[in-house]
Amino acid sequence: MVYIFNFILLFAIIGLFFYFMFVGTAYNFNWQSIYEYRQMFIDGFFTTIYISFFSLILSFFIGLFFAYGQNSKIILLRFFSRFYVETIRGTPLLVQILIFFYVVAANIGLNNRYIAGVLILAIFSGAYISEIIRAAIFSISKEQYETGLSLGFTPFQTYQYIIFPQAYKRILPPLTGQFASIIKDSSLLSIISVNELTMNAQEVNSYTFSTLESYIPLAIGYLLLTYPISLYSRRLEKKMKD
Amino acid sequence: MLFKSLISVFLALLLNPIFINAANEKPLRVGMELQYPPFEMSTKDGTPSGISVDLAKALGKYLGRKVIIENIAWDGLIPSLKTKKIDIIISSMTITNQRKKVIDFSIPYAQSNLCILTNPTSGVKSIKDLNQKDKVVAVKKGTTGHLYAVKHLKKARILVLDKESSAVLEVIQKRADAFIYDQLTIYRDWEKHKKTTVALLQPITKNPGYWGIALRKNEPELKAKINNFIRKAKSDGTFNKLANKYLKNVKKKFIELNIPFFF
Repeated sequence: MVYIFNFILLFAIIGLFFYFMFVGTAYNFNWQSIYEYRQMFIDGFFTTIYISFFSLILSFFIGLFFAYGQNSKIILLRFFSRFYVETIRGTPLLVQILIFFYVVAANIGLNNRYIAGVLILAIFSGAYISEIIRAAIFSISKEQYETGLSLGFTPFQTYQYIIFPQAYKRILPPLTGQFASIIKDSSLLSIISVNELTMNAQEVNSYTFSTLESYIPLAIGYLLLTYPISLYSRRLEKKMKD
Repeated sequence: MLFKSLISVFLALLLNPIFINAANEKPLRVGMELQYPPFEMSTKDGTPSGISVDLAKALGKYLGRKVIIENIAWDGLIPSLKTKKIDIIISSMTITNQRKKVIDFSIPYAQSNLCILTNPTSGVKSIKDLNQKDKVVAVKKGTTGHLYAVKHLKKARILVLDKESSAVLEVIQKRADAFIYDQLTIYRDWEKHKKTTVALLQPITKNPGYWGIALRKNEPELKAKINNFIRKAKSDGTFNKLANKYLKNVKKKFIELNIPFFF
């Protein structure tokens, strides 16, 4: 009961806030024109899902590889992994997309902007995921490794049976968070004309000149995608504590 | 309930000063995107300059109001006008029926035509070659070129981009077969990339696009004043002076190539 009351109260406060805000802007809402373009929103929504989904999977493998690379005994690989993580994390995604698409992809003859979009998102997100994995493995205390040694495990077995099962629990919650941010970051692909949700909303805006009406469904669309992930991440965190 | 009323009182207090400020607006706020030299551009230190800026200042003088230039991205111009962030738009904006649905325009003050930038390998010779299934047409989002392509090039795949420079790059890299924009831009882009692009400067539409000063609907007083100003500027040579100041060489070339000039 108390929960429900507080829920309603929260919605009333937020609703009132936005109501006054929108009254204050003296903006004439024209939902009719947006409704005519609903198919574009639906198409964009699914394109965003596809692109995020494939980049998710790919970025996990990229992350895994570079997490390994950063601890590798091969110096070149270690340096390269470090270089990759630092440059990707230290530069804007916008610049990465432009350089990747107009320079790298153009040179290797990759002209499909959807595949290029998935690749660049995966490369971008992979750097973060590699840090998540690396941090989780690092956080396992030294005794665990020593236990493996004393049991006569090979390094591979130590990782397989002792380190990974523990690290896995620490990886999952931040990983789901990272997946939610891939979904939002995919909106930047609109600059290379990938018809995902943001791009289509912007296009509808330029046909109808109804900015707020195009962008409010956009915000709701992203929330619909990220909220379940966020909920799931919460549950995982709870589970991890037990 | 107490909570609700408290919050509404608080919000009303918070919002009040905004309303008061909006009510006694004095200076004329002119919106434009400073990305289209020599009409709208900025000098090296960032001050707005160009034909539209001079025009806005002349209009301000005529109306007896101070002029504030607001640099706003093309996509945001009409929404800014609708939400009263600016009073008028002078940004080489073509008068179209679609735009007329949401905002009002003055009488035309200039004209321009759409034309095509293509690459040597695309084989595009005229606009007819573009309305094909395997053709990719790049446009800048929200421009008349974009609106034209959506309406008339239904068979082609339309590539909507944020920046003119990306659209040119797409054509150079042969990812797009053509870029549709106005003649001045296409001419300039071709000048920069003579080897990799081909400019088809002949107008692709029968009628030119007419540029107007945009204002909100239901402001007949301001509209009448702006219209009078444009008539006066046309007859007393203001536009010619501006053209000579900023577009001398372009005007010569346009006459050479038999392309109708802006004014």
